[in-house]
Formats: sequence, structure tokens, C-alpha cells
Amino acid sequence: MQSRKGIESLSELPIMPSTIGTMAWNQTGDWRYLTPVVANKLAPCSQNCPAGIPIPIYLNALKNGRIQSGLDLLLAHNPLPRLTGRLCYHPCQARCVRRKIDRTISIQKIERFLADLGTDVTIEKGKKTGKQVAVIGSGPLGLSCAFYLGCWGHQVVVLDPRNQAGGALVDRSPEKVDSQVLADEISRLIRLADIKLETGVVVDFDAPGNVVSKADLIILDPTGVSEDLRAPVGAVGVNPFDDEAANSDIIAPRLSQNLKPFKAPMIAHYIAAGRLTAQKAFNRLAMCSGQQGLAPPNPDLLPQTVNTDDIKIEHFSSSAPVAEAEAQQEGAWNHERALHEAERCLSCGTCDLCLQCVSFCPDASIKLDEDKTAVIVDEYHCKGCGICAYECPRGVVTMETISG
Amino acid sequence: MKKVVMGTEAAALAVKLARVQVISAYPITPQTVIVENLSDIIGRGELNAKYMPVESEHSAMASCIGASLAGARAFTASSSQGLVYMHEMLHYAAGARVPVVMVNCNRALAPPWNLYCDHTDSLAQRDTGWGQYYCADAQDVLDAILIAYNVAEQALLPVMINMDAFYLTHTSEPVDVPDQKAVDIFLPSYQPSSKLDVDDPKTFGNVCGADLFTSIKYKRHCDTLSLEKLWDRAAVRFCGYFSRLHPTVEAYQTEDADVCIIGIGTATGAMRLAVDRLREEGLKVGSLRLAMIRPFPRGGFEKATANVGHVIVIDRDVSFGAEGIVAQELKAILFDRHEDVRLTGFVAGVGGNDISVETIVPLVRQAIFGDGTAAEAGSTLWAEVLP
Repeated sequence: MQSRKGIESLSELPIMPSTIGTMAWNQTGDWRYLTPVVANKLAPCSQNCPAGIPIPIYLNALKNGRIQSGLDLLLAHNPLPRLTGRLCYHPCQARCVRRKIDRTISIQKIERFLADLGTDVTIEKGKKTGKQVAVIGSGPLGLSCAFYLGCWGHQVVVLDPRNQAGGALVDRSPEKVDSQVLADEISRLIRLADIKLETGVVVDFDAPGNVVSKADLIILDPTGVSEDLRAPVGAVGVNPFDDEAANSDIIAPRLSQNLKPFKAPMIAHYIAAGRLTAQKAFNRLAMCSGQQGLAPPNPDLLPQTVNTDDIKIEHFSSSAPVAEAEAQQEGAWNHERALHEAERCLSCGTCDLCLQCVSFCPDASIKLDEDKTAVIVDEYHCKGCGICAYECPRGVVTMETISG
Repeated sequence: MKKVVMGTEAAALAVKLARVQVISAYPITPQTVIVENLSDIIGRGELNAKYMPVESEHSAMASCIGASLAGARAFTASSSQGLVYMHEMLHYAAGARVPVVMVNCNRALAPPWNLYCDHTDSLAQRDTGWGQYYCADAQDVLDAILIAYNVAEQALLPVMINMDAFYLTHTSEPVDVPDQKAVDIFLPSYQPSSKLDVDDPKTFGNVCGADLFTSIKYKRHCDTLSLEKLWDRAAVRFCGYFSRLHPTVEAYQTEDADVCIIGIGTATGAMRLAVDRLREEGLKVGSLRLAMIRPFPRGGFEKATANVGHVIVIDRDVSFGAEGIVAQELKAILFDRHEDVRLTGFVAGVGGNDISVETIVPLVRQAIFGDGTAAEAGSTLWAEVLP
């Protein structure tokens, strides 16, 4: 009970029962049996992206004028965005929730705009490990694999018997794959990940003394070298998507039937296969040297896909109609057009600090953190009424049973 | 300006003249005409107010409380089932000390369903802490709403203006509609001493321990008692501007009366006619209309009944298992007087039966001479009951 400090007589009592004192002492948090959890979830578009690109996050960065960080994020998940922005069959767009309101977001066009900016980006890199990896073949799988291994600190050399890098992409018609774009994209990739690329190299596993024999680990890129190249003794076929680990120093990624022969529109699948191969290679090298490898992804910790029923489309208004012709418009988009399109993103499952939860909380128990970059729950006072979760237009806030 | 209007229209005109800023209401027969009129008035741009068509009477009162705490002059109207549905918020409004004024159209409570006049709905709210005024005619409705805002905003307490279903709500009468400029002088805009203000934050209706709780309630009780004097003073001031007096009690021929017929609402007009009839028969009868029931107008009642030996109450309501509610109120006051005063309590006119001179005269005779048809139940006599 509060002491009656300051009020000693009837005349001092306010007529309207009111106080300037705080109610913070009344810790109503223990009334709660469900707790609001503010957690970004995988948007349906990202979930359907073979490369798992967090699309709403980089679109949010674009919307907020942080183009550089948007591109950083894109590149961290997809080292060949100029190519995917042109070639990919964009399954992300098939799942766009925006179609319930007007039409899907042209994610691919935005990706292409962002990737074509070609600005310098910085990629977070691991410290040098001193290990050497040789990637034979510079197709999208090999380049992706080399990119990640390079970023994680290995010394990577990409060898291609042909005179032009790009593997299977080189064989596409110039209308499909512009050779200049391909060359620029590969040069950005090798620069970012600090990779060495050697083309026109004769790869002979039986003639030691070259780069191959010095490598601690060799990867044979199925999208880079022809199937005629005889796999060396000791090579182990590894399915990047299904197999847990690679138990050999010579890894020959094996692709499922739907990815064979090479199909350019499936490029994001090859990029994903490259990243998964890189993880297995990294773990193999770490295991051999007694170091700790990348922790295998714990399925419980992976972000859940947002429930599309939790995206409350009634909160969003229909955007000004854009002529279908313009939406389908071939070629590149300018900044204004890309920004306008990015602004249409509902940001499914991804908090964009709309603060709907904050304004509706009847107990001021959900608020911006000190940095004003995230929404946090005051567990001492939140009663667990669930209004925040009900009001969240994006399915970011959910009510969970949390023990303890 | 004189206009022929129904009681409900008079109420809406008063709300407009009072320049109410927030109206939050849910329709119910026979109150509906009031809120329909008000939404029309606002729709025509004649009143700059926020109209909230809420989903229930509970929310209507809750939003009036919020609006009032934010410093707005707020109004609602209800009736019967709607009024009892907002019961919780009625307590809250009085406890929060918000000067909300509401109109209640006295209608019977179900079951059985009945849309007609009965006072049980509002009298059952007499412990909520609201001032309660019962109107006699349409002019009284219009004027009482203006006086009520004046009184409520002085005392920081809510006031309920009651009007009889259909006898008053739907009967047309000539009403003098005062000039807006004069009303603005009598009733200036509400200037709250304390309100919700983000620049001066405070918590309203917060938790309070037993140490201060008693004192807060004591203070509120004293302030509620003061409503009687505040009303009479405001009524005199109102009379100065508009030449119509609306006191807390209205006595008729009580100076030399041995017997006094007492009631509330529109039936008091018939009581005065009955007094005339009974006086022709040689009976020294007077009548008293209690305009205010909460706080009980002790001063006016004692003055008017100082020489009366027999009080006859006609209740248009009942507290089941006890007796008529007005009769109970009078017994409580008379007990304090330590005088040998007789009281006869009747229940009549519930659910819409007319309380006419023909109803009243036989009841008075039964009270005095003991011979009549009203059926006895405990200490009440019920008129109009099947044999």
C-alpha cells in the first residue's frame, strides 16, 4: 500500500481520483499466461525463394533509403543478383500476399535494379583459415560455393578449362545472358570474396604439382565442367540438399533430376546448392583440422514461415494501379519505379516498425527499444491480453506459451 | 421562441443549446427520438459535436466518461434495459467525478416486455451516486438539462434527467426555446480543473489503499449532498434569465394540509387536480412533487410537510420484497424527524397505466378511510390489480 505522503487533509485530496505517481510498482506481468513474442518470420516469398533471400528485409532497406545495406543483404544471400534478376523464374512472386489486394510485387525487377547499381559493397568475412580450396568449374554452383568459402576465410581458387568463366551460362544465347553482365557479375563476386579465378587451365588430376594437388579440398562444379571430365579417384558424390555431410576431400555435388541438364531459369537453385556445398566443405575442413565447423542448422531455430492468414490485408490500401504493360515492362527499372514497387511490399512476417502494436497496447507494455530499432515487450507489466498480436498487420507478434 | 415539440425533441434542443461536445448513445424506445434528433442536428451542422454511435449503453457511458475526462461536455440518453446495462459505468462516472449529464426515459423493465412508463429503471440506480431529477413536462426537460450541466460542472458529479416514457417523451406541448446567447451566458463552456492532458500527465481512477479510500468517498458523499443546494441556487439563477423556476420540490396547497399526496414525474400534475377535487369534498389535502430524488431534497420536503400528519405516496415503481422506492425514501426522512406521521404507500401506474384524477381520488380515500380496492402486500397497496 502506498503511503499517504503529501496528503494530510481532506482539502488536499484531488476531487477527481487521480495521481501523478507511477503505477510501475503494480507488476501485472504475473497475470499473464500467454506472452507476446515479437519475432520476424519467413515471408511466403522468401520461403519460396530457392536461395532463401529475406526479400521483405531488403525491400524495407530500399524503402528507408538504405540502398547500400539492402544490396549488402541481397548479396549475402545471393552472390549473382544481376543474373537472377534477369534469369530466375521468380517463384517468390507466385506466393506474394499482395496479390490478394491488387497484384504481386515485381520482386525480380527490384532485385535487378538493386543489383545493377553495381555500387561497392562490404561483405562480412571470417578470419583467414590458411586452408586452400580448389573449385573446378565456374558455373553458378561453383561460383556460389567459392564465394561463401572465400567469405568464410578460405583461400579459394576457381579453375575453368575454358577461356571464359561462367560455366553453363556461357553456352546460353546472348539474348538470354548478356556476356558483359556475366563478366561484370563474376568479377564483383571474386573481388568481394577475395577469390582467384584461372581460366583456360587444363585440369589433370593425374598430374600433380599444380594448384589442384596443393588444395586441401577440391570441389567439382557440375554446372561448370562438362560431364566428360573424369572424376578423380576418391571423389564422393554429395547431394547438397539431402546429404548431411561430405566425407571426402574431393566433393562432387550431385544434382537431382530436375536440375539436370542445366536450366538457366533455375539459377537460384544452383546458387543455393553452391552455398550448401560450401557449408559441407567448410565443415569437412574444420573437422579435419579439429576446429569447430559451422553449426548445423537447428530446425527449431529456423524462422517459421508466417501464416498468410495472419497478414491482415484490410490494413493495407490498394496502391495506384499501374498499367499492366508497365508492370510487365521489359528491361531495367529506374530508381523511382523500383522504389514505388518496393513501397507496395506488405512486409509479411517482417517488422517494419509500423508501431501498430505500440499504439494499441492498453498497458504501454510493448514499446520501442532504446535504439528505436526493434519493438520489445515489458514482461513485468504485460498482462498477455493479445491485442498487440491481433493488431499486428504482419504476423510478427504472436502469443506463445512461455514457461518459467 | 415558442415551439410545439415532444419531450424528446425538447431534450435534443437543450443538448444543442448546451453546446455539448460529445454525444455517445445507443438507441432504445422511447429514447430513440432524442438521439435521432441530435444526429440530425449535428448532421445539419447546427452543433459542433462528435457523435459516437456505440455498440452498447455500457460503451455509451464509458465513452462519455472518457470524453468528460478529456475536458469535453458529454451527453448520453437511454432508457430501461439500456440504463441498467450501463449500471457499472454509472458508478464509475460518479466515482470519477465527471460532470456528464444524461437523459433517462423511464420505461418498464422486462420481462414481460413493456415499453411504457415505470420508474423502477432509474430508481434502481439511486445508489450509483448520480444526481436524479424527474421532469414534469417538456419545458421542464429542456430547462432541467441546462441547469443540470451548470450544477454538475460545479460539483463535478453526473446528473440524470428523467422523463416519463410516452407521457412526456412522445407528447407534444408548447415549449419556450431560450435564446442561444442567453444560454451561453447562463452556461459558459466547461472549464475542467483537471483533465487528461499529455503535457500534464496523471493517472485517473488509479488504485488506492484503504487509507485514502474512505476520505475520498466521504468527500464525494458531502459533495453529493450539496447538489440539493447547488440545484436550487442554479434554478434561481436560471429563473433570473428565463423567468421559469425549477426547484427541487414543488408544493401545492400544503400550507394548511393534513394530508399530502407525494409523487414524482408527470403524474404529479394529476395529483394537483385530485387535490382540488378532494378539497371540494372538504378534505384538507395538498400535494408535493419531488423533482429531485438524489440527493433527497430534505430541506424542501421538510418545509412543505412540516404540518402534515399523513403522507400518501404513489410509487410508479417497486422494490420487490420491500415497498415503493419513494415510500422507502420518505420513511427514512420521516424517521429522522421523530414525529408521529402516518405514511400510506401505493404502487400505481406501473407499465404505463395512466395515473389520472380518477385513479388518485379513490386511493386517497382508501388511505384516509381504509376502504378501497387496492390490494395489500406487505406495507404497500397495489392499485389496478386483478381481483
